[in-house]
Amino acid sequence: MADTATPSAPAAGKEPLLRVEDLRKYFPIRQGFFGRSVTQVRAVDGVTFDVFPGETMAVVGESGCGKTTAGRCLVRAFEPTGGSILYRNRDGDEVALDTLDNKSLKPVRRELRMIFQDPFSSLNPRMTVMDIIGDPLRVHSIASGSELEDRVADMLLRVGLRPEYMRRYPHAFSGGQRQRIGIAKALILSPQLVVADEAVSALDVSVQAQILNLLQDLQAEFDLTYVFIAHDLSVVEYIANRVSVMYVGKMVETAATDELYHNPKHPYTEALLSAVPRPDPRERSQRIVLEGDVPDPAHPPSGCYFHPRCRYAQDMCATETPELRPIGEGHEVACHLAEDLDLRGITDLVPRD
Amino acid sequence: MSNSNHNAGADILLDIRGLKTYFHLDEGTVRAVDGVDFTVPRGTTIGIVGESGCGKSVTAFSILQLVEKPGRIEEGSIVLNTGGQNRVDIAALDHDSEELRQIRGKDIGMIFQEPMTSLSMMYTVGFQMTEAIRLHMDVEKDEARDRAIEMLQAVGIPRPEQRFDAYPFELSGGMRQRVMIAMALSCDPMLLIADEPTTALDVTTQAQILELMQQLQEEFGMAIMLITHDLGVVAEMCSEVVVMYLGEVVEQADVDTIFHNPQHPYTQALLESIPRLGHSHEGRLNPILGSVPDPYHRPSGCPFHPRCTQIITGRCETVHPEISRLDPRHTVRCLLHEDPHG
Repeated sequence: MADTATPSAPAAGKEPLLRVEDLRKYFPIRQGFFGRSVTQVRAVDGVTFDVFPGETMAVVGESGCGKTTAGRCLVRAFEPTGGSILYRNRDGDEVALDTLDNKSLKPVRRELRMIFQDPFSSLNPRMTVMDIIGDPLRVHSIASGSELEDRVADMLLRVGLRPEYMRRYPHAFSGGQRQRIGIAKALILSPQLVVADEAVSALDVSVQAQILNLLQDLQAEFDLTYVFIAHDLSVVEYIANRVSVMYVGKMVETAATDELYHNPKHPYTEALLSAVPRPDPRERSQRIVLEGDVPDPAHPPSGCYFHPRCRYAQDMCATETPELRPIGEGHEVACHLAEDLDLRGITDLVPRD
Repeated sequence: MSNSNHNAGADILLDIRGLKTYFHLDEGTVRAVDGVDFTVPRGTTIGIVGESGCGKSVTAFSILQLVEKPGRIEEGSIVLNTGGQNRVDIAALDHDSEELRQIRGKDIGMIFQEPMTSLSMMYTVGFQMTEAIRLHMDVEKDEARDRAIEMLQAVGIPRPEQRFDAYPFELSGGMRQRVMIAMALSCDPMLLIADEPTTALDVTTQAQILELMQQLQEEFGMAIMLITHDLGVVAEMCSEVVVMYLGEVVEQADVDTIFHNPQHPYTQALLESIPRLGHSHEGRLNPILGSVPDPYHRPSGCPFHPRCTQIITGRCETVHPEISRLDPRHTVRCLLHEDPHG
């Protein structure tokens, strides 16, 4: 039980498992009788990041920032509009996920699985737990009959459920148990990479901790790599080695978790960190309250998308779009002023006594 | 914001005693709220926390008698002290009565997690607000309109004159939340019940709304009853906290005591189970065993005993603990703190 809570950052020099470059996903907005495409929602608009084997890479941002769309592009639930996703498969070959056809995608899908947010709607209510968890084994013709049953039973044990429950339907389980079923289904094919989209957001706080611990145990046991998509910064700090922050379809900052939380370089990251309510009345923080709302990705502002809400914005921010650029060891930021700003991390935000 | 040493009784706005709200279903009776006592002092923010199914929302709905069938208030009193000797027991009123309708929206405003619960798609923001204002205040149409625009301004809606004629679907989630707050506060209530008001919002929008609620409280002086599962929000906002588990209040104290000297094993476990910003290197999270039991199978004795790590074997399974008062502002329902004089 006493393993290290947050494994250290991946060893330098390791080849990335996943390389995402300039990933874009636009959704057309259609209007009129012929469904003519009038404009596009740039849900994901140039996202670049690497994921190293064995690490947990978190993608955070507010609703509508494109983090879920990006995650779905990774498992090819969505067809990316542009950019490239290179994935190193079990045999060590690099495959281009963004261009593979369905047939050659199938073996890759075994190694790339997804865990969803809502444990209530992501499980088919008419299938028993065994059918739900065993389904991927059947689809990929890996096991059937009693072998399938054995593997499902084994998997149930590993996620902390009793194999006797195998014949029950999802409605008989609580939210936390259902999320365990969803995890079992994702892991039954022994994947390399798991994309967890808000995997603990719908759960009660006490159950959330169980699932977070379970995800960590399973990562150690099966050598998993996680892409952890979430909005809750406390959860992300707990589970992730590195974090990318997204805003309106773009990546604004990427760094190792500690670095990002203590030494943020993007004003949006600073505001996000300051906005998290602390569960301690003695740490009532000075919130940075941003003006206005997250912009509509169909009509994003000019220049830096964050400039209308940014308290440090200057003239250039309204006209020039900042590129993601390195600013330190493993730290990248898309802000013109990153070098000049002295931003507050989580320790500075809390008045010390 | 600090409200230490208020005289008991004198400045109590709402006094809830022995409240029981049950749902009679085919599968059995769900005791959603099962003997809840607490008081809301005037002008302060009190937080009601607990996990799903603990009865926090049903408690709020009971206060306005908005519990829908097959739910019913079985017992208890909810005494609202509107000032001086003006006391009225809401639980004793008919849920359809004129008197109750005057309390809802006028003395007590309510906001919900989902703004569309209280806003209609079919009417403009202005129409809905003026309707509510004219129902409770003796004012002309123009005056009501001015009041509505003034409130929209107060909750930080830009260009309130134009938003007055907007339909709710034309507004963003944060803006709708603001409209709902404006509407709830338009008749200057003494108590604002906020049921998970920021749960569906993003952190930066949540920060805006929390800030707004604090500002409005300073301005209008209403008490806020904040129902939430988010301990961070409670720590930031509340001066007093009520912790609920399976329809019962298990602990009540001022916010500092709840977070720094909690006495009920459930409160302690809840605090240990949450990840905290800046504390991630302190090892693994400490989850609470199991999950909240389903409402048809309430555990015997202390309802928390199957998940409790400090269980007194042989007693907690059978004895239902009474409330013990540890100090004037701190009560706990646990056999570990049994009142020797009780």
